[in-house]
This record gives sequence, structure tokens and C-alpha cells, in this order.
Amino acid sequence: MSFVQRRRFLWILFLAGLALLAIAANATTLSQLRFEELVNQATAVARLRCIAVESRRQDGEIWTETRFETVEVNKGLLPDLVSVRMLGGSVGNLHSRIDGVPSFRPGEEAYVFLWRREGEPFRVLGWSQGTFRISRDARTGVECVTQDSASAPIFDPLTRQFRHGGIRNLPVSIFQLKLRKALEEKRNILGLEGRTNEN
Amino acid sequence: MKISPKQICASTLALFYGGWFAPMAQAYALDMIVPDVRQPAAISGGSACPVRAHQLTAAGSIAVRWSTALNSNPVTIVTQDQTASGRLTEIEQVVAQSLAAWTGVSGTALVPGTLTPLTRTATQNACGPDGVNSICFDQADMAFTPGVLAFTRVITTDRLGVQLGSSAVSTQLGQILDADIYFNPSDSNTAYATPQALAANQKAYDLESLLTHEFGHFLGFSHSAVWSAIMFPFAPAPGTFSGTRPAALQPDASLGDDDRTGLRVLYPDPADAVHRGSIGGKIFPANPLALSGSPPGVTGVFGAQVVAVDATSGAVVGATLGGWSCTAPGPAQFDGTYRIDGLAVGHSYTVYAEALNGAVDPSKFINAIVSLCRNTVSDPGWPPLQGCVVPAVNTSFTTRTRPGP
Repeated sequence: MSFVQRRRFLWILFLAGLALLAIAANATTLSQLRFEELVNQATAVARLRCIAVESRRQDGEIWTETRFETVEVNKGLLPDLVSVRMLGGSVGNLHSRIDGVPSFRPGEEAYVFLWRREGEPFRVLGWSQGTFRISRDARTGVECVTQDSASAPIFDPLTRQFRHGGIRNLPVSIFQLKLRKALEEKRNILGLEGRTNEN
Repeated sequence: MKISPKQICASTLALFYGGWFAPMAQAYALDMIVPDVRQPAAISGGSACPVRAHQLTAAGSIAVRWSTALNSNPVTIVTQDQTASGRLTEIEQVVAQSLAAWTGVSGTALVPGTLTPLTRTATQNACGPDGVNSICFDQADMAFTPGVLAFTRVITTDRLGVQLGSSAVSTQLGQILDADIYFNPSDSNTAYATPQALAANQKAYDLESLLTHEFGHFLGFSHSAVWSAIMFPFAPAPGTFSGTRPAALQPDASLGDDDRTGLRVLYPDPADAVHRGSIGGKIFPANPLALSGSPPGVTGVFGAQVVAVDATSGAVVGATLGGWSCTAPGPAQFDGTYRIDGLAVGHSYTVYAEALNGAVDPSKFINAIVSLCRNTVSDPGWPPLQGCVVPAVNTSFTTRTRPGP
């Protein structure tokens, strides 16, 4: 095989891999989102501090608006204050509940994967999947991150074992590394796609 | 009690059967709500003990309609029958079958006669807080994001005498006034297939599995942490379905035992003589000093998953998040109590437990504050004596097992 043939073969292999990746991602996107998918699909990723929560009725439906202070932006552009609007909440004697929608308390901090369509308010991507709460060990001061959808142990009836999925009790520094790596991979893929298109 | 090597667990006390006790942490993750004790006792019950969200079970008390407005470009609901009327019939069969899975469980007060016949509406945006339970397959909603296939929005009330739109006036605390099921219509890559069409559409999600899960929320369930339960939060992969397909002889085949047990607890049948067993106990840290920093009222481990497995069949019959209890007039006490009701008597069960063993605040992951705790901070004017103390992080466990009596 000549150098040109080999290079062409490698390019075909690479493009086929990309296509396979796209199909696989597509097949799982709308149920369980992998961390890389969350990073790719998020409009913005940031460490946010909740400063206020307010539920109110709009067209009869109860919505909760959570206002955050931006602590650190990892992806996208965000102002110093961010509002996230999610369905559900309590107003008067009515309680609207949607399982999986994250709720926040003033003072708590989380890495939040935000998503929105043009002209609409932010929502949390994948709900509990896009919420990574930060807790601080009172003794050591070490901050850890736990994904809402991973915080409960899951019982596997076949093995009779508890399992843990997702991100759980990960030190913030390691979470940041993971996030940075996923963002870099995304940039690299986009860069390669750009070069491929140029060819 | 079996403890796996990785389990960081506590001791279990008071293994017992039968009887009725004060409300406590209950299995199968049910939606809970704390009555508004700021209101007179005549309409609030006077107790801040959490009650379960539920539908009424009198004959013909649950009505469900579904919107025939379907996305056609692209087709979101895939059917085998391609004729206009055939499509609707096929979809309606799935809706009926998904509901029948729940009304087909033995030993509950929820029976087919509890439902009025399914109705259709051609209205595009039929879902909304109008007191009418609706299913919408093509209603754009601001709540959807990628990763969310479908959801059920349930509106309950914390006092008697409340009406929402054309709903019945609440006569029971925790009564569900409106429950609507939304399917994500906005992603062109997502489709849902009826059981007849699923084999030929391997990229589509199984409509029946998703609807059965959503009807669980509709009836008052939260998500279950048991992999085999229909109430497990993640949908089966495209082209596959949950459990076994329902059959005429077993309409509830798609449910897990955990789901069935939960339904028996939520809608008990007083005439059921089989599923009257309970397993309960308390989960304590091995070192009581571990709780020294906790707020008053926190005397046990909150946030441990407790699972009961039938020792003979190996079926996971119930799972709960321990542990709290409540005695009127409340509030809930986080004393490590767990309880799994609705178990068949005469069987032996093995109980597994796993505490949250990391820096996870249990109050964060099941909306415990909203579901179990109300106080002067969450609700202005709340009576301080009935204010609930939010459990603190409790991560210092060591393993020690004390056998039950």
C-alpha cells in the first residue's frame, strides 16, 4: 500500500469512526446522557451559586425561577446573574411535582449544565443529569461534586448488589479536569471536522 | 440481613410483621406532601406528618383523555397500521394497556372500574392545569430538554376543599387534582413505537414502557432505585421494552414486584389477606457519636436504600429510602426508621441496605425538603413546633450488624 493509499485509508477509517460515533451518540442522547454528551449539548456550563428561588403561576401552570450568581464559566457566555426556569413548585395550597426536575436552595452551589433555545429562558439540561451539586467536607474543606441522577444507590436484582452510576463524590479539582478534557475533545473534533470540510 | 463488602451499613432492629404504625419512610418512593397545618384542623387534618399523593379510587373517579394531535412531520408516534383511524386505534390500545398494567395488580383498591372509559380530544394543546387528566404527544412545553423523553406533571393539594379547574374538590389530603403526561415532540430524532411497530423501528423508544412508567407518576409514584422496576427513571434502550409484555391473563406483566408492592401500599384493598406483611426497623450509625453534630430530631441515618428480596423466588419485592417516622401532630423525625409494607405473609425476606456513604446531603436528591419537611423558612407562618428539621449530612459509618429478634 502506497503512502497516498495508506493516508486515504486512514482518512476513510477516521470518517467512518466519526459517523459511528454520531449514530451511537444519537441512539443514547435522549435517555441516559453520557458526560461527554452533556458537555456537547449544553449551551453553557458553569459553577453557580443559588441566590433566590421563586415559584409563581403562569397561565395556570406553576413554574419555579431560580436565580444564580455565576461563580465560574466553563462553557458558553453567561452574565454575572443567571435565571433558570423549571416546571413545578408550590404556590398557595397547590403543589406541582415533576420527578427529576432539580430544585435548589439559596446558598448552595452546583455545576449546572444549561440549555436553551434562542430567545427562551435557560433550563437545566437533562434535569437531574445536568445538575452536579457541590458539597464541602466540614472537617477537611474538600469540595466534592455529585450528579443528582447518581446520588442514590441503585439495586441490581440480578447481582443483589448496589451500584452507583454517573458522577458521585468526585473532588471538584478532578471534576474540573474531566470537564476540561471533555471540552477539549469537543474542540478537537470540531477542529478536525473543519479541516475535513476544507479538504 | 446480608451485608455486601461494599455496603457501609448500620444495624437493623425490630423485624416484625403486620400491624399499623405511625407514618414512616415507605418503600417504592411515593410522592409525599405535608398538609398545611397553618389552616384549621378541619381542612388540614392538624398534623404535619407527610401524606401520600394519590388519586381517588371510587368507581369511575379517574378520567383520562388523550390528544389525537400527533406530530406528522416527522412522525413521532410510529404505528404498524398506517391508516388514519388505524393509527389512533393502535395508540389508544397502548394507552389502555399501559393503564391496565396498574389496574391489573391484585390486592389493590385500584381496579378497572376505578377508571372511566378513555376519551379522545382533537385539541392540540390539551395538557394544562385544568383539572382534566390528559396525555399529549405533540404539545411543545418549555420544560423539555435533550435527555427528557416524557414527563408527568402532578398537581396535589395540602388541604381539603381545593379545586383546580374542573377537578373534583379535594376531599382527601394529598389528593391529586390534575396529572398530565407530556411526550417530547420537539426532537426530530426521537420516535416512540407501539409494541406492534417496535420490531421494525429499532431506533424508536417503546411507547408502552414509557406510558406505563408515566402512569406510575400519574398514580403518585416517584422514581424507584430498583433496576427492574418500571419506575426506574431511565427508559429502556431504543428498540427494547421493560419487563414482559402484558397478556390477558397477566395485564400487569410489565411491572416489577417493587411496583406492585408500592401500588398495594398506595391503594390498599382492605379485603386483601395476602399482602399484609411489613418489615421495618431502624438504621443507626454504629457509632452514635456520629450524630452528635446533627440538628435536634436527627437520631438515625437518613438516606439509606433498604431493599427486601423474597428469599425463595429472589424477587425484589420492595425498596425504600429510610429513614424517618412521624407521629401526629408531627413533624417528621429523622430517626433512621424504614418500613416496607404490602409484603405477602408466610414468606421469608432478606433485607439489603446501603447508606449514602459520601458527601451527599440526602435532602438534596429526593426533594426531601418539599416532600417531607416544611418549616418557618419554607413557609412563612408555619407553627414552629411542627416545623421539620432538615437532616444533615451523615457520612461517618462503620459496619456492624445486629440481628433482629
